[in-house]
Amino acid sequence: MTLARLTRRAVIATAGAAFAAGIPMSAALAQPLEKATVGVLALSSSGPIFIAKAKGYFEKEGLDVELKMFTSAQQVPVAVTSGDADFGVTGLTAGFYNLASKGAVTIIAAQSRDEPSFPLSAYLATNAAFDAGLKTPADLKGKRIAITTVGSTFHYMIGLLAQKHGFTVKDVTMVPLQDVPKMVAAFKGGQVDAIIAPSTVSRQLVADGAGKMLGWVGDETPWQLGALFTAPKTMKDRRPLVEKFVRAYKTALAEYHAAFNGKDAAGNLVKGPGYDELLGIIADATKQKPDIVAAGLPYVDPQARLLVDDIVNQVKFWQSEGQVDKALDPKSVMDLSIAGQ
Amino acid sequence: MRLLVSDLTHRYDDLTVLDGIDLTLAEGEILAVIGPSGCGKSTLLGIAGGIVAPSSGSIRVEGEVPDGCLNPITFIFQDFALLPWRSVEDNVGLVLEHHPLSAAERRERIDSGLRRMGLWEFRQALPKQLSGGMRQRVGIARALAVRPAMLLLDEPLSALDAQTRELLMDDFLELWRREKTTALYVTHNLDEALRLADRVCVLSRRPGRIRELVTIEEPRERRQEPSAQAHLAEVRDRLWHLMKAEAQMADREIARA
Amino acid sequence: MPDSLNPTAVSTASSLGQPVRFRGGGFTVKRHPWAALAAFAVLIALWEGASRLGLASPLFLPPPSAVGHALVGMVTDGSLWLNLKASLGRIAVGWVLGTAGGMLVGFAMGIFSTARAVGVPLVSAFFPIPKIALLPLFILWFGIGEPSKFATIGFGVFFPTVIATYSAIDQVPRNLIRMAQSFGLPWRSILRSIVLPGALPGILAGFRITASIALILVVAAEMIGAEYGIGAFVLMAGNLMQTDTLLAGVLVLSLLGLAIGTVLSQLERRLLNWR
Ligand SMILES: Nc1ncnc2c1ncn2[C@@H]1O[C@H](COP(=O)(O)OP(=O)(O)OP(=O)(O)O)[C@@H](O)[C@H]1O
Ligand SMILES: [Mg+2]
Repeated sequence: MTLARLTRRAVIATAGAAFAAGIPMSAALAQPLEKATVGVLALSSSGPIFIAKAKGYFEKEGLDVELKMFTSAQQVPVAVTSGDADFGVTGLTAGFYNLASKGAVTIIAAQSRDEPSFPLSAYLATNAAFDAGLKTPADLKGKRIAITTVGSTFHYMIGLLAQKHGFTVKDVTMVPLQDVPKMVAAFKGGQVDAIIAPSTVSRQLVADGAGKMLGWVGDETPWQLGALFTAPKTMKDRRPLVEKFVRAYKTALAEYHAAFNGKDAAGNLVKGPGYDELLGIIADATKQKPDIVAAGLPYVDPQARLLVDDIVNQVKFWQSEGQVDKALDPKSVMDLSIAGQ
Repeated sequence: MRLLVSDLTHRYDDLTVLDGIDLTLAEGEILAVIGPSGCGKSTLLGIAGGIVAPSSGSIRVEGEVPDGCLNPITFIFQDFALLPWRSVEDNVGLVLEHHPLSAAERRERIDSGLRRMGLWEFRQALPKQLSGGMRQRVGIARALAVRPAMLLLDEPLSALDAQTRELLMDDFLELWRREKTTALYVTHNLDEALRLADRVCVLSRRPGRIRELVTIEEPRERRQEPSAQAHLAEVRDRLWHLMKAEAQMADREIARA
Repeated sequence: MPDSLNPTAVSTASSLGQPVRFRGGGFTVKRHPWAALAAFAVLIALWEGASRLGLASPLFLPPPSAVGHALVGMVTDGSLWLNLKASLGRIAVGWVLGTAGGMLVGFAMGIFSTARAVGVPLVSAFFPIPKIALLPLFILWFGIGEPSKFATIGFGVFFPTVIATYSAIDQVPRNLIRMAQSFGLPWRSILRSIVLPGALPGILAGFRITASIALILVVAAEMIGAEYGIGAFVLMAGNLMQTDTLLAGVLVLSLLGLAIGTVLSQLERRLLNWR
């Protein structure tokens, strides 16, 4: 009895919501939601996905989207390749492009990027290296820098820096240590001169007096850090699904941009509409304190536009490093027909 | 060398194994010790050889040791106790290693023992390549290499088959004919005692006490002769009578325990 | 009742007499030297075939030919030797350090009861710690150069060696020690001539395990700032999703394991020919 009543009430509520949202009631009621999965990392850069899910934008498109949490950027495209996830959003690595070159994944829209005045990743020098003259990012030439792995975003960021200041990655000693905790350990132990670290880690290290901040990657070399991607097969066989997903994603992206990426005339960040609500959603999903999340919210393009030139540069960089097949056409790693770019 | 045991008692924790043993071994005498299983024969031997500390009582040796004796009281073991990773000659050499001997003397002690025991051709062999009898001969050669004054033998033949046992008994007889080494010989086997010993000490079941000391009047050299058989049969009967009663009771106690 | 008996059995048994049927077959170990090779060949052929027919995606399961190609590439550009040299050096130093330390402690625990009383709980407490979890600490203690890699392998090897050594000493027949005491051998001689060789089989068996552990840990060790090394090579191939290269690296690791196993077998045959 109670169950029946409850269900009836639930139906009425849903119908009301659908009506309010301007969707024909029959559509919302008649069709069961189409299931889809998206692989994400529990980082604030995945914020738009969390927002789309929490605010029901996927459901509005008739999608029941399940979030699959991963712990490293390498795992997400692998999950899309193996069919464990239909979509993925993460940072772009050489491994990603290798999968793309085998026709396993394709970029369909932008995720976050390093943008001037947005604190996402920082160059940090150890106190000793700083005292010895490592004062600006350009001074990193010839230094020992800890990275996670060869082919990681950190590797590319060093490559970008080198491109900008007229040296090459061969001019620095990259020390691969697998993950950020080990990079921090090596940094604190003075085993390396510098690291590039995410904003929260960077601020903590500076606060602890373990090192000095040399600048933000966004200010130095803006680039396309992450993307939304799927399998080419999904693109071909389930195009309507991709269209719905991207539509919901872009709605959330625009909302995220409005709330977090707005600036006043003086160029200072200002809180946009729905700031606290969206911050709460991201803090929930990443299991972080809101103020920590707020300190490291990356920039996203409101229309999910990709820095196409940077993607091309990334592919060429990995090819020159010998980590991605030279035969890969950089343009072939993306299909922006749905995102509309 | 003489052995003097007086009022010897030994306990392992609460278990009294030997109780009030008084015993004297004369120079050159061979004393066989028989008794039911678990009555403390090996313990007695261990105490005599200084590798088990007695709970109370005293055990002493007196007398001359032969020239060149390196280890007056020397064991021969039931399981031979050979190092499986050493060749026959190195097994014999082991017990000389810590003594300051000239290379020539070391060689001589090893070789003479091996020759006497008929092991010369096998000096390079490993224990696993030898028969049981051969292994015990290595054990004897090892004991001879230290020129012992007293031998302590703990069932030296019981791991061997009957024929091999006969052959080794001959070896022992030969040894005692030449060396006159005092010996304490633990056995379960009456034939061995009757062939080799001057006297036989019968121990009671645990706690081991001396039930009887039986002297075999017939000299060792003549025991194979027909004239000796009547006496030997009589001693054998007596020993068997003593042993049987003790063994039966010991058996029941074990069953009850 | 007699007519309830099987009539044929009765008649054959009584009249003809029959040959004794052999029933002792099976349950014995025979050597089939070619069976393993043949099984390998069939497996590889099936695998290659599946890839050629498109049954398995080359990304998910690179065909043996692709793995072989990657391996040939490693040989021709010299990276195989470079990586192998780096890893072998680390394995050798780490293993020797861990083994030396482990045997020292193991011997102490095998011989002195106080050392055993102190050591056993400590070993039980520290042995199960995954060495990979300690890598950040190792970086702080030993830096990111070779010492931390030696330490990772050495620590992994140390505890199993301790356990193998003191258990091996427990296995030394007590009667031999008694024998040596009865001949008045001094303590040091007993240790050198009896305990050490007597414990050797157990210690060598431990080597077999620790050599495999060293191979497993070289991958973990080379997580820390290694430019060259088979472990670093495998990790990089994994990060780059180059699955054929990855399998080529894994193949090198298992061949290395096979080689070390063979060397140890030879060593055992040499040193333990007395068994
Ligand atoms: N180290 C020991 N600790 C405790 N008990 C022991 C020890 N050695 C022997 N015993 C016990 O002491 C008793 C006598 O042992 P011992 O070996 O001296 O007997 P035994 O007469 O030589 O027997 P067997 O004829 O079986 O060789 C046995 O009950 C035995 O279980
Ligand atoms: Mg005994």
